[in-house]
Amino acid sequence: MAEEDGTSAEGTWLELAVTADLEAVEAVSEILSRVASGGVSVEPAFELLHEGLDARVDPARPAIVRGYLPGRDRLAARRAVAAAREGLGHLQAFGLRPIGELQTRVVHESDWASAWKRHFPVLRVGRRVVIRPTWRRHRRQRGEVVLALDPGMAFGTGLHPTTRLCLAGIERWADDGRLTAESRVLDVGCGSGILAIAAGLFGAGHILGLDPDPIAVEATAANAKRNGLAARLHVRRGSLPSREAPVDFVLANLIASLVVDLAAGFAREMRPGGRLLASGIFVDREADVRRAFKTAGLTPSGRWVEGEWVALEATARSEGSPLQSSGGR
Amino acid sequence: MAKKIRAVVTLQLPAGKATPAPPVGTVLGPHGINLVEFTKTYNEKTADKVGQVIPAQVTVFEDRSFTFVLRTPPAADLLRKAAGLEKGASTPKRESVGRVTRDQIREIANIKMADLNAGDPDAAARQIEGTARSMGIEVIG
Repeated sequence: MAEEDGTSAEGTWLELAVTADLEAVEAVSEILSRVASGGVSVEPAFELLHEGLDARVDPARPAIVRGYLPGRDRLAARRAVAAAREGLGHLQAFGLRPIGELQTRVVHESDWASAWKRHFPVLRVGRRVVIRPTWRRHRRQRGEVVLALDPGMAFGTGLHPTTRLCLAGIERWADDGRLTAESRVLDVGCGSGILAIAAGLFGAGHILGLDPDPIAVEATAANAKRNGLAARLHVRRGSLPSREAPVDFVLANLIASLVVDLAAGFAREMRPGGRLLASGIFVDREADVRRAFKTAGLTPSGRWVEGEWVALEATARSEGSPLQSSGGR
Repeated sequence: MAKKIRAVVTLQLPAGKATPAPPVGTVLGPHGINLVEFTKTYNEKTADKVGQVIPAQVTVFEDRSFTFVLRTPPAADLLRKAAGLEKGASTPKRESVGRVTRDQIREIANIKMADLNAGDPDAAARQIEGTARSMGIEVIG
């Protein structure tokens, strides 16, 4: 078998895959790990909850367990497959629910450390924003604002609609001449720092990023430095209140429930007439967000949609303007 | 951030020594996540557990960012430790390589309860017992 499927070739791996009831997953993993020394993977069936923001393993559907053998030694691979098959064959005798047949396929060697990079092209957002993964080249055209970004664990690679809606919003502020060297910007939940950096590259002079996740704080600091913004963009771990002077712009690419919870907090961070750009709002939660804005004294001043996602701009009351009906702050 | 989930996968890897080679590369690579960052962070988080297998449950989001949490060691590792074994039997139907008690099975089931997706402690114990027997470990008591 190994000969037929090419496992004798240098630089190939033989994948062993078994579909298993969740009850048998631990035992199947153990059997595959006897022959797959690098470790095994378990891919459970899962169902998405809360509009895809959470996931729960579905115990009614089977998982797929995989292990990998180096393909260079044909005989060893053949023996390992036979041993795994025998071990799996015994499982039912030990009272575990049925599992699928052992499936094998050849996986060709790849530069594992860099193959993932092909998923990140140079990306154009809005009219002028270009996101350039750090390993890619891009010749800057006149008027373009190029963000150099190293995609990692922190959210905000530019591939998600919620991020793109915010980037386009920042670009509009810049086009309207609102973002200046005097502008103060607060990015709540800054993730990779992509929005804070865009604000900086469009000219904002004072930017603070906040995120409760230390990985995001580290990513934002590294990306700020990469884009020459270390002096203007500061980041720290935490959330609202920032305990800083009021800002001209608040960026909040979060989720609807957080935007609702933080609405009054955003308003307190903004100077009169300041603007909030809130994104990550699933379309059917928009009404909740608008209600929260009204209560917080924020007036919707813009709305943009991509797919199922909405971004809302809201403006803080100017000094002397009448209070909103339901109290406000 | 609006982290919409794209995939959830668990990798059982050698603590402190993960590399982008399979299974990491073959399983996470197609999701387009930064494998070097994953292995670096995993190895940092598990550096004090070298010699053990520590599963990482990775959640991949739609924009190819990701997060992971460490899970309890595989049942097989806990069983080997309980039975004082280096490895399981190669022919478990004919050969017994060690023993664990029912109390030890229940203890392991308790440790692993949150990760097993078992409905109740008895179902979790049944999974552990099945794993033990498939490794050639006899369950006594």
